[in-house]
Formats: sequence, structure tokens, C-alpha cells
Amino acid sequence: MTPPVLYTERLKLRGLRPSDTEAFLTYFQSERAEHTGGPMTAKAAWRHLAANVGHWSLRGFGMFAATRRDSDDIIGIFGHWFPHGWAEREIGYVLFNAADEGQGLASEAVKACRKHAFDTLGWDTAVSYIAAENTASIRLAERVGAVRDDAAAQPDTAYEVVIFRHEAAR
Amino acid sequence: MTVQFTAPTLQTDRLILRAPQLSDFEAVAAFYASPRSSFVGGPISAELAWRSLAQEAGHWVLRGFGRWTVVEKATQKPVGIVGLWLPEGFPENELGWDLFDGATGKGYATEAGKAARNFAYNTLGWSTVISLIADGNDASRGVAKRLGATHDGAFTHERFGSMQIWRHPAAEACA
Repeated sequence: MTPPVLYTERLKLRGLRPSDTEAFLTYFQSERAEHTGGPMTAKAAWRHLAANVGHWSLRGFGMFAATRRDSDDIIGIFGHWFPHGWAEREIGYVLFNAADEGQGLASEAVKACRKHAFDTLGWDTAVSYIAAENTASIRLAERVGAVRDDAAAQPDTAYEVVIFRHEAAR
Repeated sequence: MTVQFTAPTLQTDRLILRAPQLSDFEAVAAFYASPRSSFVGGPISAELAWRSLAQEAGHWVLRGFGRWTVVEKATQKPVGIVGLWLPEGFPENELGWDLFDGATGKGYATEAGKAARNFAYNTLGWSTVISLIADGNDASRGVAKRLGATHDGAFTHERFGSMQIWRHPAAEACA
């Protein structure tokens, strides 16, 4: 399964590559990853990278590497996530560096992923699972028009999540 | 350009080695739920077993090699996972084998291991390869011996604990 390439005004979303390894491992080893499954060891982060790549083989969709359009440097992962134990298919988003925040880049990527989910993958709904204390991520969900859905089933995660729902009409 | 490397299919007398795929999940989850997985980090939940299967598939893309799902020709059922492994933190390229319940005692690990090792030497051009075997895993050590490997040091695995390094005969000796 070769991931497609999606473009937004400022970003390119493409498949993860070996050259993304260093940035991916640096983020997931850092304190910034405390709400996205980390911080974890370099070895665990590498296995997580491999699982992100292999998700495409198993499901036919998965998480993209996001880069600026004029660069090949990964700034985060955005896309479609449905491992065993998830109650529903998820739109996931992780911006690796604080320096890239506050510019609307994550919102731009999430909107492109949502459009891809509804228009190309044929989903009729999607959720985002967010650690309850991850206020930045919750703000982003609200900014892109997702609505909190406390009635949705909890996924099998190590931490409690709040669930935001993305609707096709938005 | 993204290169999505897919595992080539190999055949032996009794086995097919093919790319890991979603339909292997049930067998992989059963293996990781059983005591048989105790030497490779198990038992673990079905959720973690699914991610492990995803890692098997992703390893091929990240490294250009990986492990195959081993299918028994006679039954067309997955009987194990065997192949070439180099996750972050491994000391060098490894040849590993995990056989599922009911597939042991038939020489399958040795047969699939030989095919994977031949692929490493003849197709990938490796000159040497090791196998990491958890202390106390006598069955796996038996496979290493049958493949002609010899004990060559120790390694502490982040999750699996203390392991023995077994080094396989060099490429020329296996030609």
C-alpha cells in the first residue's frame, strides 16, 4: 500500500520514510509527547514508527508525515488511525515542535485529512481521541469544528480520553 | 517519492514465506496471548499484538527487509513469523523465528530460517547474521544449533531481558 500525497495551501502530507526516523524518535522521546503515548525510549519510539508505517499495510490508510511544501522535513504526523482496540476510526494529529505552533498548520492538516476521510476513504464519521488534560489538542479540535461526544465509546487506551466527533457536513 | 517495500514471497519444501497481512492477526494474537510468547516479551494483549503485526509490516518499509509470515503449504495456515530484524537498539542484523502453537517439533523454524538466511546472504548481500535467544529458551537454541550457529556473546534486550548472541556460519560457508 503506497500512501497518496495530499496537499494543502502550505503543507504536503506524504507517507512516512526512513529519513523521518530521527525527528519522529526525538519527538516521542520528549516531554511534548506526554499526551500522545510518550515519552518513550528510542527503541519504543522506533517500534511505534514501524507500527505507524505498517498500519498502512494492514488497513489501507494510516498516518501521513506532514512537511512544508518547500521542504522535506517532517513537522508532525496527521491522518487516519484505527488499530485493534479503537472503538471507531480516528483522525489523529501530532505537531512535533513548539516552533511550528500558532500558525494554523495543524488545523490545515486536520481539515485535509478529514476531507480525505469523507471524500476518498468513504467514511461517514470520525472521532479524535484526546487525553483529557491536553488542552492545546482540545482547542484544535474545537477550532476545526469537531464537537465533543461524551456518549461515544471509549477506546482501549492507557489513559482517559475525551472524544471529539468530526461530521461529514463540516 | 515514497518507496513502499513489500516482502517478496519465498518457498521451501513445506512452507511459504510471505508478507505479513491483516488476516494473520488472529494467529499472531493467539501466539502473543500464550505462554509460548514469554521469551519474546509476551504474553501481551490483543491490542499490543496488533501493533506488533503492524511493526512487522512497517519494518519492511523502514529497513528494506523484515520478517515473513510462514504459511504451512499443506493447510495454508500461518504457523509462525520468521525473518530478518533490525529494530532500533539491536546490536546487528538478526535472524529470528517465532513458531505458533502446534507448529513445533516439525523442523519448520529450521526450514524457514534457512530460507531467510539464504535471502540475507544471496539477495541482500549480508556477510554475517546473528540470532538473539533469551536465556532459558532451549527450543530456540536447538534451532540455532541445527542452523549451524555458535554461541558468541551476550546482549541485554530492553524488554526481553538477558539474551544470548548466536552467530550463524558466514555467507561463504552457507553457499
